[in-house]
Amino acid sequence: MSDNDTDDVRTDGSGTGIVSPDDETPAWSERKERTQGLSRLTYEYFERARREDQDLRQQSDYVERDVLAFPAWPHEMMRNIALTSFFVGMILFVSATLPPEMPNPANSGVTPAIILPDWYLYWSFGLLKLGPLNPELSILGGSKLMADRTYGVLANVVVVGFVAIVPFLNKGSARRPVEQPFWAAVGMSGVIFSLTIAALSIKNLVPMDSHLLFDLTFLVPIISATITYAVLKTMREGYMFDLNRRYYRLRPPK
Amino acid sequence: MSLERKDEHDHKGWMESRELTPVESVYLTVLIWLDRRLRVVDYLEILEDLYYKVNMQMPKSHTEQYNLDNKFWYWYPLYALGSFSTVAYIVAAISGALLGFYYAPAAAAADGSPTVAYDSVMLIMGQLNLGYFLRSVHRWAAQIMVAAVFLHMLRVYFTGAYKEPRELNWLIGIVLISLTLVFGYTGYLLPWSQLSFWAGQIGVEMSLSIPLIGEWVAQLMFGGFTLSQATLQRMYILHVFFLPFITTAIIAVHIGIVWMQGIAEPH
Repeated sequence: MSDNDTDDVRTDGSGTGIVSPDDETPAWSERKERTQGLSRLTYEYFERARREDQDLRQQSDYVERDVLAFPAWPHEMMRNIALTSFFVGMILFVSATLPPEMPNPANSGVTPAIILPDWYLYWSFGLLKLGPLNPELSILGGSKLMADRTYGVLANVVVVGFVAIVPFLNKGSARRPVEQPFWAAVGMSGVIFSLTIAALSIKNLVPMDSHLLFDLTFLVPIISATITYAVLKTMREGYMFDLNRRYYRLRPPK
Repeated sequence: MSLERKDEHDHKGWMESRELTPVESVYLTVLIWLDRRLRVVDYLEILEDLYYKVNMQMPKSHTEQYNLDNKFWYWYPLYALGSFSTVAYIVAAISGALLGFYYAPAAAAADGSPTVAYDSVMLIMGQLNLGYFLRSVHRWAAQIMVAAVFLHMLRVYFTGAYKEPRELNWLIGIVLISLTLVFGYTGYLLPWSQLSFWAGQIGVEMSLSIPLIGEWVAQLMFGGFTLSQATLQRMYILHVFFLPFITTAIIAVHIGIVWMQGIAEPH
């Protein structure tokens, strides 16, 4: 609208050519305010969120950082470069000392004694061998609802699905394992299970009776979860006392 | 009506009225030249806005506020696992691009005789200068990336870093770890050795045993119900075309969200 403040309309083609036609042309904020429906809602929400931000900033416990902080260059960058080159150097060192082998060419006629994916897929491979857990339903006359291998694929989906919904099951502000012994125990049993199920997938390489191994695959995670839970519960009181004392000494409650 | 330029648009006169250093006047001349054609100033405004957003003052973190660094310094290496997996990803990408110059995804048969794919890997390992090392670097970078990603996930779990504002990033992380595993699997099949072939066989059977869509998935991913040239070709294109683009984009989103939300510190 300020474009019309000058008396003369420039007709020589200079300028950007972007002018509002008249005083009636709404500004962007007015356009947003005038809109209907979803865009109107979006605009209102944005305004609210901005106000909320502002309020948060004005709260008393909001501590502003010094603008002059630890410099990104060179200090922070040098640290990053050092860490990165150390890590890359580690990769180069390992690959120089432990080069991979090359097995024989593919032969569909000869089944090798050991069929294995890379180590990081052992857990998934192990889940395919859960056939003995596939229930035989009496309602189906003792037959299984799904084939063993379908059951194995489903087990993969269940494991990944469970990991995915963890944030929606475990809410709250507790962060440390001592604050939430149950979830720490669940996590520990998951870690141990990923190891035991990997061991199960290579059961013909493990010097152990395969039935015993199968049982241990499920027992060891449960045992370790129980131990984790017990240890954390025991630690909890003393640990939290120590932590709270430290917090209160630094910043006593209002 | 006047054809003369108004004062406020007389940038030249304005520049002459100021005493500018040569650097300043060159800068302004370039800026005005560009701005009269491309309306750069609008974008500069956006940049300025971004600058203030990037440097927005966040509240002090818990560790900062309560000066807890002395209690938690030993956690910090675990907080580098995410960057380490990114670094390993970059190393694998570079070495993989170099390997791609020499590798040919062709395997007409699986009868125990060396195929084109197998021979090209053998050529890389036996004839090419530093080729063996290159393949070794690619393989180890991949292995280390998988390990780092898994440990990264454990760190996030045990420090409760997936909680409230970060659920979305946890889900994205699960997609990323799955993509990493698929990356590893497709790469494992490429040399078309015995191990590759039989790992591929397991893959076909796994997809065939998915209810309802199993055959369709096997067709899509493996190009048939038995392993053939089509399988190798698909694994190759997945490994060097689809997965790199998808994974890189999702990693960018993942890190972007971490940037926006800040690191979940121990607290």
